[in-house]
Amino acid sequence: MNTTTVAVAPSATAAAGPARSTTPAPRRRSSTRKRLELALLLLPSTVLFVAFVFLPLIAAVYYSLFDWSGFGPLIDFVGLDNYTQALTDPTFQAAIGHNLFIVFASLIVQLPLSIALALLLHGRIRGRTGLRLLVFTPYVLSEAVTAVIWLSLLQPNGAVDGLLRGVGLGDFVQLWLGDGNVVMFTLFAVITWKYIGFGIILFLAGLQGVPEELREAASIDGASGWQTTRMIVIPLLGPTIRIWAFLSIIGSLQLFDIVWIMTLGGPAGSSTTMASYLIDRGFRRYEFGYGSAVAIILFVFCFVFALFYQRFALRRDTQGALTGRVE
Amino acid sequence: MTATATVAPVRRHLSIMVPVRYLAAALIVGVTLAPLLFVILGGFRTNAQINENPVALPSPWVFSNYVDILTSSSFWTFLLNSALIAVSSTVLAVGLGSMAAFALSRYRFRGRETIYSMFTVGLLFPLGVAILPVYLLLRQLHLLESWVGVALPQAAFALPVTIIILRPFMAAIPSEIEDAAVVDGATRLGFFWRILLPLSRPALVTVSVLAFITSWNGYLLPLLVFNEPSHFTLPLGVATFQSQYAQDTASILAFTALSMVPALVFFVFAERQIVGGLTGSVKG
Amino acid sequence: MKNTRTITRSVAAVTAVAALAAISGCSGDSGDTVDGVTTLTFWHNGTADPILSIWQDAVDAYEDENPNIKIDVQPIQNEDFSTKIPLALSSDDPPDIYFNQGGGLLATQVQSGQVADITDLTKDWIGDVGPAAGNWQVEGAQYGVPYAMQLVGFWYRTDLFEQAGIEGTPTTMDELTEDIEKLKDADITPIAVGGKDRWPDAFYYNTFAVRECGEDVLKESLAAVDLSDECFTKAGQDVIDFIASEPFQDGFNGTPAQEGSGSSAGLVASGDAAMELQGTWDKSVMQGLTDTDLNPLLGWFPFPSVDGDGDPSATLGGGDGFSCTQKHVTECVDFLHYLSSADIQTKLVESQVVTIPVIEEATSAITDPVIQSIYDFNSEAAYVQTYFDIALPTGVGSALNDAVADLFAGKGTASSVPDAVAAAK
Repeated sequence: MNTTTVAVAPSATAAAGPARSTTPAPRRRSSTRKRLELALLLLPSTVLFVAFVFLPLIAAVYYSLFDWSGFGPLIDFVGLDNYTQALTDPTFQAAIGHNLFIVFASLIVQLPLSIALALLLHGRIRGRTGLRLLVFTPYVLSEAVTAVIWLSLLQPNGAVDGLLRGVGLGDFVQLWLGDGNVVMFTLFAVITWKYIGFGIILFLAGLQGVPEELREAASIDGASGWQTTRMIVIPLLGPTIRIWAFLSIIGSLQLFDIVWIMTLGGPAGSSTTMASYLIDRGFRRYEFGYGSAVAIILFVFCFVFALFYQRFALRRDTQGALTGRVE
Repeated sequence: MTATATVAPVRRHLSIMVPVRYLAAALIVGVTLAPLLFVILGGFRTNAQINENPVALPSPWVFSNYVDILTSSSFWTFLLNSALIAVSSTVLAVGLGSMAAFALSRYRFRGRETIYSMFTVGLLFPLGVAILPVYLLLRQLHLLESWVGVALPQAAFALPVTIIILRPFMAAIPSEIEDAAVVDGATRLGFFWRILLPLSRPALVTVSVLAFITSWNGYLLPLLVFNEPSHFTLPLGVATFQSQYAQDTASILAFTALSMVPALVFFVFAERQIVGGLTGSVKG
Repeated sequence: MKNTRTITRSVAAVTAVAALAAISGCSGDSGDTVDGVTTLTFWHNGTADPILSIWQDAVDAYEDENPNIKIDVQPIQNEDFSTKIPLALSSDDPPDIYFNQGGGLLATQVQSGQVADITDLTKDWIGDVGPAAGNWQVEGAQYGVPYAMQLVGFWYRTDLFEQAGIEGTPTTMDELTEDIEKLKDADITPIAVGGKDRWPDAFYYNTFAVRECGEDVLKESLAAVDLSDECFTKAGQDVIDFIASEPFQDGFNGTPAQEGSGSSAGLVASGDAAMELQGTWDKSVMQGLTDTDLNPLLGWFPFPSVDGDGDPSATLGGGDGFSCTQKHVTECVDFLHYLSSADIQTKLVESQVVTIPVIEEATSAITDPVIQSIYDFNSEAAYVQTYFDIALPTGVGSALNDAVADLFAGKGTASSVPDAVAAAK
């Protein structure tokens, strides 16, 4: 990362002059030693990772082929039945729809909003550091706490209703969490509240990488502010946008905490997400085989998305935390 | 006309933009803070006050909600449990992750990129997706109801982000330094321990902070692993408190407000690292 | 070096926190016998008074009499049980004594191997509890002990009925529909329902089914997990028609049943709705949500009759009880025996937490005429059918509740529920 400075030890500068090639020790010894070192460095993390990330994945594929209550041995082999059942279940289909709604709503609403707000806040304002701090606060809170906060605020005749009535907008009062037609929008608003600060900070940083000279030059050439923004700033924000979108989409696909605490997927399944469906069916209904199938489907979603994204979106970035090339 | 990097936008828009800027800032701060203020202030009211007028200042100010929670053992138990798990999973993730990042950045060996890709794949396979088989694994290992059963998976799932941030950082450290250390008689591991890690301190702090926050805020895994309330972490405790005392809105608000405090305090101290780390990864 | 110091500091921090957590966390470990004192964990669903205090007092008294037993009481919100029990039975450390409603729910839990067979340990006294105990048997073996029987019927506000000019209570569906209209004319919300939790919705379907289906058909269908008989489809249509008459409060699909003053119970308690189809436990829930004394204001009538094959005096109901897990069976059964004593039962009846006790003696504690009428109705009822989601295995029961909730949300057809049951089997 080039934003951070690297402290250089004095001995290094002194040694920069003289020859720096190392005389190789006898090959065999150094290669064994190298293998040992690599083992020591890599094995612990690889073992931990494989054990808790890959093995469960493989196990889930296995469990998903059975009808299994989670107790006793796996005896009831059903092949791909769990998968067909899940994909044809209207509740799960609705859940997928809800996740996709969040994905696209985030791209359509949160992205422009974050960029616009970042642009607005980009210039010199007094108290900018304090502002940064405040705006970022919801991101630091856990989703669980966020859910409890908003659950309280959105109660019928609660704070939100009270506020709306207080400013004369009483007609807009809805059953925020109780109306199946409104609930996904409500949840999206809560998610936006939580993550918009994150977006603003990210884009503020990205904007710092847009050279001021370019904007100056454009305005000298007669471009309006909006044209400058559209033609120069936004394209240069490309890498930032792509990173933000990646994180946002992955987050949207695995949405759970907020839904589980605020609505439990209700009313009548109108706010289920793939993850809440997974927990409800897999754990509450003792259907571990079926739940595993749903988990695999969810994983495939994420995987396919990331594959596409890697190919088409991130490839253009030659440098960056996610695709850093290393010699 | 020389342009400097921090010049405000072009002069002719100056007069309009400045108040708009401040307005936007005020709006954002308002929307962000209002719910938090409601929660904090709500804890100082009684349920009767809240039912009568949901949005109002406490009158009179009631301290019993906060006092009751602060003097009960459950809040502190949740806090300590969260701390234990977050510290352990962070130490584990960053410790193991930095070692792996070092190997992946400064060694050349066959399969290096394959191993790195393996970790990258993990980035798109978050804990929420894997939770069901992870739960079954924990059950087999008899790690349910134990803090280890939460810390280990959290550390495992924090490895991808950790390695992905650390690797380019470690790779960017000039090889001259490493060569110099070797000339001075250090082994490669010694170099790692004595020189590279201290040099990587900013990035290490960033990944530590990220791992810590992710662990601290975790809800799903503790929900499934813990049944005994004395083992609950703070987010789980807040949610359970909310459902158990559903009609006691004032207490719920007080409890929620108190549970925000550690995160906010932590954030104030670590803000530079969090924001700096994120911006660093963006600008890189 | 700075670096080593940081590492040392972090290790020290972890050790310190670990030590602290170990001290605070370990003391509550369930099921340990330390110094001859055995600790049992006790999960019940009475999170609010009066039942919260009754259980706590019972535990305290039991501990006084049995100094070698300590009981760790855990009140858990009713809706959380369906998440926590499966998880607990999956772990190494399930609670020793836990709330259980018997039926197919219990049968599913028994599959975990963790629920203890207490046939032998209870055979001397289980008879005292009456025929209710049958609902806590799985394949002839006893797996739990009930402490209350519950009926489902309409709780109603006598003052609001008066306001709307309704005399007496409806006995047929047509009369109920008329009364709903009268209430609407008087600007009163006729019925509150806790749609968010889904099982209150299912009460409507289940009761219509009890009205439409003959006793044999009903019992056989449920035992076979097969609702293909046309009476079940008729019940679905009844539900759809009933909902079409718009008797419920605004946003009924998102209203919880028992949590907070905005719940359906809370609405009746505050006089914002006139009726609620609920179990007999609901009166104490409602009382807990308001300071007004509800005794003179609440009445009860059974679900009206419908033109069907069912017996009009049959009703929907269930029961509440406790089960034991394997680790401390003997101690658990002893405690359950104590809970079934006439003493505790009387207290439960006096506080109106329990309307139909399982011990005969306690019935003399019934003073309220409304409660007495419920008790009498129960004695004269042709039979009581357990709510379907408890009678059926857990997965199927959940699917049934979901299908009914969909009907309430305007989705699905009259055959949705039988279809869902067939799919979930």
